[in-house]
Amino acid sequence: MKEEKINYKKLKLKCGLEIHQQLDTKNKLFCHCSTGMQEREPIKIVTRKQHPVASELGKVDTAAQYEYFRNRTFLYQVFKNESCLVELDEEPPHPLNQEALRIALEVALLLNCEIPNEIQIMRKTVIDGSNTGGFQRTAIVGLNGFVKCNGKKIEITHVALEEDAAAIVKEENGNVTYRLNRLGVPLVEIGTGLLEGFNPEDIQEIAYTIGMICRSTGKVKHGIGTIRQDVNVSIKNGRRVEIKGVQELGLLSKIVELEVQRQLELPRVEEETRTALEDGTTKFMRPLPGAERMYPETDIVPVPVSKELIKEIEDKLPEPWTKKLGRFKSKLKLSDQLAKEILRSEYLELFERIVENRKVNASVAANTFTALLKDLKKREKVEIEKLNEKHFVDLFEQLAKGKIVKEAIPEILKHLAKKSELPVTEVIKDLNLSVMKKSELVKIVRKVAKENPEMTRDKILGIVMSNVRGRIEAEEVMKAVRKIKK
Amino acid sequence: MYSPEVESLLKSKKIKVGDRVRIEKKGMVYEGILMPRIELGDSSSLVVKLDNGYNIGVRIERDVKIKKIGRGKAIKFKASGVRIERDAAKPTVSVLGCGGTIASRVEYTTGAVFPAFSPGDLLLSFPELKEVANINGRKLFDLLSEDITPSHWQIIAKEVAKEIRGSDGIVLMHGTDTLHYTSAALSFMLQNLPVPVVLVGSQRSSDRGSSDNAMNLLSSVLTAAKSDIAEVTVCMHGSSSDDFCFVHQGTKVRKLHTSRRDAFQSVNALPFAKVWYKEGKIEYLRNDFNKRDKKVFRLDDKINPNVGLVYVHPGIKPEFISSLSEFYEGIVLVVTGMGNVPANPSNDKFAKSIVPSIKNLIASGIPVAVAPQTLYGRINMNIYSAGRMLNETGVIGQYCDWLPETAFVKLMWVLGHTKNMDKIKEMMLKNYAGEISERSEVE
Repeated sequence: MKEEKINYKKLKLKCGLEIHQQLDTKNKLFCHCSTGMQEREPIKIVTRKQHPVASELGKVDTAAQYEYFRNRTFLYQVFKNESCLVELDEEPPHPLNQEALRIALEVALLLNCEIPNEIQIMRKTVIDGSNTGGFQRTAIVGLNGFVKCNGKKIEITHVALEEDAAAIVKEENGNVTYRLNRLGVPLVEIGTGLLEGFNPEDIQEIAYTIGMICRSTGKVKHGIGTIRQDVNVSIKNGRRVEIKGVQELGLLSKIVELEVQRQLELPRVEEETRTALEDGTTKFMRPLPGAERMYPETDIVPVPVSKELIKEIEDKLPEPWTKKLGRFKSKLKLSDQLAKEILRSEYLELFERIVENRKVNASVAANTFTALLKDLKKREKVEIEKLNEKHFVDLFEQLAKGKIVKEAIPEILKHLAKKSELPVTEVIKDLNLSVMKKSELVKIVRKVAKENPEMTRDKILGIVMSNVRGRIEAEEVMKAVRKIKK
Repeated sequence: MYSPEVESLLKSKKIKVGDRVRIEKKGMVYEGILMPRIELGDSSSLVVKLDNGYNIGVRIERDVKIKKIGRGKAIKFKASGVRIERDAAKPTVSVLGCGGTIASRVEYTTGAVFPAFSPGDLLLSFPELKEVANINGRKLFDLLSEDITPSHWQIIAKEVAKEIRGSDGIVLMHGTDTLHYTSAALSFMLQNLPVPVVLVGSQRSSDRGSSDNAMNLLSSVLTAAKSDIAEVTVCMHGSSSDDFCFVHQGTKVRKLHTSRRDAFQSVNALPFAKVWYKEGKIEYLRNDFNKRDKKVFRLDDKINPNVGLVYVHPGIKPEFISSLSEFYEGIVLVVTGMGNVPANPSNDKFAKSIVPSIKNLIASGIPVAVAPQTLYGRINMNIYSAGRMLNETGVIGQYCDWLPETAFVKLMWVLGHTKNMDKIKEMMLKNYAGEISERSEVE
């Protein structure tokens, strides 16, 4: 099966994408809690049950009923400053967060959508417990848009502004624990039209493109779990299966491939919702929810969208990310990979400011903000969150003025993360990382050579390097060592 | 509701709410079902339900074309079709509906709320009820609690009196805002109750899976069917969690929060019991309630509704207090602290004593009772000079730990029985339904 190349066109692979991107607003969508999600220790746990609710036909949504019969108890962790009575479903929602609305409208306009005259907030029935109220609040902010991907026009059916659900912590013996700090964080849901005639890699590329457009606003959250993809997969004679919560974009094509294989191996495919697992496989979650699950949120006044507001946002739309990518490659001489990485980085805006007015090597800066920071965090457990804008601005200022060399950057950052109150110049002094004069280097090289007359140049280079590391470019050291008479 | 312009446009196109419409505007095309507009938002924007379930607002401007492309179905509830079987081994509980969110159903297309009071409706929404008791359900009226008046209290009292024979307990579904006024009124009107009378409401709307209606209703039916508390009580959430309900004494309970599930709390008293609905267990916290037995029930629903409840505040005008005689035959003043009102005027132009005005009211035959703004604690007008001056006017309420709303309802009920000032005072200070306690319990 593995070696066999699947012909997706022949299988009539049809997909639909729904991309959820958290917005980087100060407050949540319907209350004034922080969206920081920093707290670790809950201050309280509230226990709830949910009850099926009958619709106008006297029927209960099949998905809803299924959850009910699982007879679960929900435990909600409350976090200081990050959850209030609104998240606990103990207070009606506050008015729609205008900051979030503007970002969502910006995304909708970047995706060439029509904007409704009036935004109506809806309740979408969700009773897996991830929403304390039993529904998720959501509103259409854009319709009938499109995005170009590899020259093809991809239909965007809708952009919705909605509240994120609570994050699941654990589930044991029918008790499901959720963290309330994610509940209510604003996110945009972007839905594509039916994607036909594509293979799984194309689907991943489309998701990437939409993600990049969101990031180009500079106002979305970065990091694990801040963007999540749902994908619908069906093949010839099959039924629609929805896979929810793909957090790693790079897994998307694999997930589609594996789902196609799974469906090929089944005698009969059921309509259902499945959860994406870390290895690209999926597990059954619940039957697909019915169409009866949406009704108006009557506690919030509908929000009119004025022509002036749209004009104002249109006038300030960011440079298209594809254009920026080209510019980074041609003008800043970044490699394709580095350019793409810095485009996805949460430091993008800071990077652009730093390289704009200074004689800083863009590759060094881009590399610092991407690979170096990731490495410091992962391998050396450096708390890079403690590093602020001023740290970086000052650091690159020193680099541009020739006061330090790029080799000094990791040590300085490590130190700054520990003592974030110190100015960069002082840290450079404390670490003795001011750039070394060439004459001083020559002195050291001569001294080492004189003390060790029997040593080869390579050995001498090693000793000198360990003495001057981070104070002068490695190239200079090599040059100086080469000049020794042997 | 839509603006008159939009209404007439729709009329001219013979389009009704519920019809499928096609709207064209500047190259955009929207198709969907035309929705009614609730009171909120821009009344000149049409609300359209798209096929994906979302609603959007489309502003009606000159360049808009709208066409009917399909006729809508009338939106109404089907009969529940639930068969009701009676189990002779189980107690019988009458559930009477007065309105409020507790027993309403949502029409999910529009979000409109419909009452649902028939036993079939109740059992459809809350199938667990039939495991506890045989349910008789009936609607008395369907009002939001803010619209309930003293005459509704009388209607409820009479209907409860009718239900007592043949029921092991009675549950009243009621809106929450004025639930504690009704519970106090029934506490005075329904004397020598042989069975529990339990008022219940819900704080969160019934459309949501998380509504407190299911647990509150189930707990109140449990209390009505199984508890020994033959009193008027209020049964509501005990905490933010869905774990237990409190059974509060009808005269000692108050709504203390606008929205929380546990908004109702007993003040200056412990609740009678906790109800653990999952376990079907009633845990008594007190034992001084009237027990179930074959007492001779008495309906005493005479009431005089001309009583005012007035909040005293800094800078309150004596003229305003005096003017109350034009409207009311009895007044409850909600006073500061242990029983004080502005009484010692300084030279400040805003500071005027209202003590003479109160004295005049009483002298003209209008009884004035006092209750504390603090809600918690007892009136004692001996402590400060303002209190002493107030007490000397002949106000009623010295040493009482009653809630302002309870004192207010009680004065209406007392005035329904007598106009004699001495008798009024005597009845007001007599404890009929636990409204005045002699001891302040340490909690």
